[in-house]
Amino acid sequence: MEILYLLIPMSAVLVLCILGVFAWALHGGQFDDLEQQGEQILDRAATPFDPHQGPPEGDAEESVGRR
Amino acid sequence: MAEIPRRTRAESCATGAAAGASVLDDPAELETFTRRGLAGVGTSIAESSLRIGGMHCAACSTTIEQALLRQPGVVGATVSAAARCATVRWDLRVTRASDLARAIEAAGYVAVPDTAAAARALRRTESRAALWRLFVAAFCAMQIMMLATPAYVSGPGDLAPDHKQLLDWGSWMLALPVLWFSAAPFFTGAWASLRQRRIGMDVPVAIGIAVAFVASSGAAFDPGGPFGTEVYFDSLAMFVSFLLGGRFLELRARHRAELALEEATGRLPQTVMRLRPDGIVELVSARSLQPGDRVRVPVGQAFPADGVLAEGRTEADEALLTGESRSVAKAPGDAVVAGSVNLQAPVLMRVDRVGPDTRYEAIVALMRAARHQRPAMLASADRWAAPFLWTVLLLAAGAAAVWSVVDPTRAVWVAVSVLIVTCPCALSLAAPSALLSAAGTMGRQGLLLRRLDAIAVLASVRTLFIDKTGTLTTGGLRCVDAQRLDGSGATTMRELQAVAASLAGWSQHPLACAVREAFEATGTVWSDVAEVPGQGLEGIDARGRRWRLGAAAWVGATPAQRASTLRTWLGCDDVPMASFDFEEHLRDDAVAAVQALQRDGVQVHLLSGDDPERARRVGAQLGLASARGALAPEHKLAVVRAAQQRGERVAMIGDGINDAPVLAQADVSFAMGEGALVARTQADGVLVSNRLADIVRARGLARRALQVVRQNLAWAAAYNAACVPLALVGWLPPWAAGLGMATSSLFVVLNSMRLSRP
Repeated sequence: MEILYLLIPMSAVLVLCILGVFAWALHGGQFDDLEQQGEQILDRAATPFDPHQGPPEGDAEESVGRR
Repeated sequence: MAEIPRRTRAESCATGAAAGASVLDDPAELETFTRRGLAGVGTSIAESSLRIGGMHCAACSTTIEQALLRQPGVVGATVSAAARCATVRWDLRVTRASDLARAIEAAGYVAVPDTAAAARALRRTESRAALWRLFVAAFCAMQIMMLATPAYVSGPGDLAPDHKQLLDWGSWMLALPVLWFSAAPFFTGAWASLRQRRIGMDVPVAIGIAVAFVASSGAAFDPGGPFGTEVYFDSLAMFVSFLLGGRFLELRARHRAELALEEATGRLPQTVMRLRPDGIVELVSARSLQPGDRVRVPVGQAFPADGVLAEGRTEADEALLTGESRSVAKAPGDAVVAGSVNLQAPVLMRVDRVGPDTRYEAIVALMRAARHQRPAMLASADRWAAPFLWTVLLLAAGAAAVWSVVDPTRAVWVAVSVLIVTCPCALSLAAPSALLSAAGTMGRQGLLLRRLDAIAVLASVRTLFIDKTGTLTTGGLRCVDAQRLDGSGATTMRELQAVAASLAGWSQHPLACAVREAFEATGTVWSDVAEVPGQGLEGIDARGRRWRLGAAAWVGATPAQRASTLRTWLGCDDVPMASFDFEEHLRDDAVAAVQALQRDGVQVHLLSGDDPERARRVGAQLGLASARGALAPEHKLAVVRAAQQRGERVAMIGDGINDAPVLAQADVSFAMGEGALVARTQADGVLVSNRLADIVRARGLARRALQVVRQNLAWAAAYNAACVPLALVGWLPPWAAGLGMATSSLFVVLNSMRLSRP
């Protein structure tokens, strides 16, 4: 059971690391508006995250009709 | 009670709170949140409006008021706990605005000028800080619980002492961020209230946390020493995260309410088309308008200021300001009101009054003032909390003193047990949990509450004032009577109705819309269609006959004596053919809802800005206690105030801007979901479903909620009465105290959750 002497301090340090990651995300503004990011994919004017996956340029009107 | 500055400008300044305090003294900056010369011209008394950050209970307002009043030069200070803003009257010659801000900061709060931009930044900072604190506490509590589990589940002797010490060490390490960071607001709150020589909820919480942490640390690093061997880091961390979770939800609700009010005040157009003397149109900010300016107002835009119509004829929708259901015809020379919407044609207006002098701003200011004066019901809870907290502290100290004589090794633990077992958790949860649960159920049933204490008032209310247009009625018109006046018999009623509907298709007038909706149109081909404002429509059909639809004189009919309904006429070649009577359309459930309320012992009164005759008619139709019409917002306010002075609990349901001041003044108020934004932000609840019957249902639920609150309080009192003596005599170890506290809180929460079943 000597391994506990390593694992428990490690888990404590890991917790502090996770807190640090959360702090970074929070203060970067990721939790300020939870709805906005989800709605962004419906916004035609927004730049697509992956340019290859957006609708083809000329296809814009047609895809509106389908929706 | 001082008046509130009428400034509601959205984006004038963005000062940082403390760092830029000297910026506040800049005359231009000062102007954005301060009004001068209140006590007469030439005096140096000014009135400033400041938004307060860091307030978490109603009692904080007293602290801030006292801190401000101690400042030399401050004549008066009012802090609204609900709106989180302070109104300060101060002498410009004696002190400075930055000193006021500093005084508030010294008391442990943040003050920023009451303008939207700074407040928005403050909201974001507050919300981030609260979420960050909550996450640290909850996440660490989970980890500590994992490390504490072996000590709970192992039998005697199963857990080797060195392993136990290792786990305790890990718990201690994870409890540090909870104590130093997450629990910091409790310590600062306790410290601030102690420095003000008051006792707040934070004081026993802070003492309990501190004592439990010190004693647990002692037990963790010196097992068998004066603090024994038991550690309670898990109880401590979970306790802190529960408390922070509650505060976070409260914060979110408050931020949403503030945001809605800011949006409401932004109703006027931002940019307007000003006509220069040389005839060129320039686009300027609405705030730079001066009296005497001439402004073009396109169709669909709100008039930016109070003034007079200079050119063009149109109709204006003033329903949001006056409650009048019909749009008002405007000819050159007629007065137009800021905030009303231009409906028919682009016109030119001359500006007479701008900014704070307009009627729109006056209504907004009236509404804020009424809101400010609302009795803070929450304060009563804090009032009786103080004696309770003192008793708890004295008991704990007394127990520690007695036990340090009887058995010094147990003195600390007995004191901690008393503090934990009496932790006002169950007591402080008793009301909010039941009210939250009831509010959630009401929300699912179509009534969104903005203030939880509205529930208590709703259950006890005996007088209900209700608005007519848009509240009892849908705002649309319904045909109640159609008469054929044509003596020749050449046409049938059906044909006449079809002609009327077809001709009405050429106009946007509310009556024309109603005609169109009431009857089915035929495909008549019209030529030379013209609309004469204030008269009606005319058009020539395929057979060359000139049909007219509109006022009696317009079609050649003799108008009847003053009718209580809206009547429109149809005529052909100056011979009246038919008349149609329209009436406002009552909401489908209005009759049933009003009757149910009256059976419940609620007196329902109608307050309308509309024609008195029509108000009386609707009142008679519903069997109301009284119905009054032609009331301006200030008259409605006076009626409600008079009822309140008679000692009645008053509820109000309304929908328009003109109802907003009354909604803010009434003890409990609801706005229709379709209503004006300002009304919705001033009401305690919004009837999203637009069903009046939901008020009846909500009243039943509110009564049940109060019953549950009483049960919870009784339970919490019984629990304290049973457990405090046990803890005092040392029969209740801290772990049992923690368990007892958790169980009693759980009981309270579960009991409250019964309310989530409709």
